[in-house]
Amino acid sequence: MKNLQDQMNENQPEPQFSVLWPLAKRSIKTQGAAAGLPDLSGKTVCELWDYIFRGDVMYAVIRERLTALYPGIKFIGYKEFGNIHGPKQRDIIAGLADKLRELKCDAVISGIGA
Amino acid sequence: MGIPTVSIVGTAFMKQAALVSKGIGVPFAIAEYPGAPMVDSDDELRRKVDVHLMPAIIAGLTRKTGQAAAPVDVEPAPDSVVFSGTLDAVEKYFHDQLWSDGLPVIPPTRARVDAFLRFTTRDRNAVIAVLPQEGREASILSIAVNGVMAGCKPEYMPVLIAIIEAIADPHFRIEDSGSTPAWEPLIIVSGPIAQELDLNFGAGLMRAGRQANTSLGRFLRMYLRNICGYRISPGDGDKGSIGYTFNVAMAENEAWARDIGWPTFGMDMGYAQEDNVVTVQSVVCISPPTYSSGAEATGHLQQFVDVIGRTFSYWAYSGLKRGCWHSLIVIGPSIATAIAGECSKDDVRRYLWEKATIPAEMMQRFARQTGGLELDFQQLVSDGYISADYIASNDPQRQVRIFANPQDIGIVVAGDPGRNQSRGYMAHAPATASNCHPTGTPCAAPRANEGRHNRRDAHCARLRCGARSSRRHACIPDAASARDRVRHTRRHGRPCCARIESATRRETRPTVCR
Repeated sequence: MKNLQDQMNENQPEPQFSVLWPLAKRSIKTQGAAAGLPDLSGKTVCELWDYIFRGDVMYAVIRERLTALYPGIKFIGYKEFGNIHGPKQRDIIAGLADKLRELKCDAVISGIGA
Repeated sequence: MGIPTVSIVGTAFMKQAALVSKGIGVPFAIAEYPGAPMVDSDDELRRKVDVHLMPAIIAGLTRKTGQAAAPVDVEPAPDSVVFSGTLDAVEKYFHDQLWSDGLPVIPPTRARVDAFLRFTTRDRNAVIAVLPQEGREASILSIAVNGVMAGCKPEYMPVLIAIIEAIADPHFRIEDSGSTPAWEPLIIVSGPIAQELDLNFGAGLMRAGRQANTSLGRFLRMYLRNICGYRISPGDGDKGSIGYTFNVAMAENEAWARDIGWPTFGMDMGYAQEDNVVTVQSVVCISPPTYSSGAEATGHLQQFVDVIGRTFSYWAYSGLKRGCWHSLIVIGPSIATAIAGECSKDDVRRYLWEKATIPAEMMQRFARQTGGLELDFQQLVSDGYISADYIASNDPQRQVRIFANPQDIGIVVAGDPGRNQSRGYMAHAPATASNCHPTGTPCAAPRANEGRHNRRDAHCARLRCGARSSRRHACIPDAASARDRVRHTRRHGRPCCARIESATRRETRPTVCR
């Protein structure tokens, strides 16, 4: 048999809460990514590195392998750009587009997120 | 620009990469490195590059067509009701949507949110900044909603706004918030408002228990989840490897600091004693509770060196590489009294800077664990980030300083005045270093003042000088005037701070915040 408190609780509906969305509008413009190159032979590939997670070893291997596959491929190493995750990161990123144009960069490899 | 690009990403970061890609609106071509490169042998790393990275790199750079822009998600409009139900139903819905932090939330009803909005004169739709990593607007409304959820009181709203203004400062590097070290932001509230809102600055300083301290800390973590997208699994954006949970907000025992002749932390940041200010900085680890004893300053300071300095020594390379590192020491009031009998805050900083050292070889060994280039002291000296002391000899066992600059060390007087305990809060090294300039080089011109936040340029502020001290041993010249302090604080990156707007609730009510 229910006690009086239980009976009273049954007669009182639980409050309802209408709640607002806790997130916020995204404010970004979307765009597609650039198409690839038909061939990397003779192209200039630029390296961007955050100076961690053994990117120096990886990039050395990548350069070696791409050189073997694509005659005339050229590389502009990460040191040309500096640490993209270091104290000058913002300056480097701000000037990156111009630098890539200046260096006539055809493709970019960026890393290492780990 | 039309340049095909491939990004190399470790397996554990693939989901975050997708989230970031969505947040900036550009699809990424990814070459996945399976596993963690730091624990692979050289041969295994090379094998993985050959087998896994090379095909993906070639595919990414030579694909026939570019990846189309990702379709935009259909999301609710701000200020819209998204759910109605009982308390349990709301909790479950929010949890399922990954909008809560695992604890029950206060349902953000329109009435509750409006109560918060009455404590600011800003339009609810005003946007402070667009924040990484999801590219969402940090709007006044979103601050109110998340403030409700976190259990804040409406009168905290000016503080909440100031918190978000601080983290929106690029020097705070909020985009690093979800990184492996899993640093946790720490809010420090300065000025009369700390007492007005009943913030604890005594015993149990950093424990949950006082509504203001606890809910402010919770609010920031909730905001990082909901607006910035830093969520642990089953979310995608927070890659903190181990981490720890939110810091309650901190306040200083400002009366005690004044009584012993020290400037308050807010004054250290370049503000007037009566200004209400929020500072936010990162904390990547906390030192052991540091007991010190004796009536003389040296004993206490040496204990700070031996315990707190030793804790910080592991991460010191990170600060050197980035040119600045803003760690914080909370000194128990009784300890501060003993020290202040002989030393100013700047003396304390100087002592730690001089005495907290580590063998050069050990610092370089610590740096190698993240698989970067060798910590090159010579290069850092050439770049102007550290002094020539670091390369005084080639002896790998030579002692090098943990703190590159004494003014990087923040000091707060707080905790139980009846005990002899202090504690260190080690910062991550944000690229506030991006606005840190080589030692001794003047900063670029500060940004123009914006609206009511006359000290906004203090966002790129770094402590340089303490206030005038009447103590005997002033190792670093004190600032001659408040203006000098502000000028100095413009020079280098610093934990980001924002002045709390004065807010009078838009009904008749005494001003809460001055």
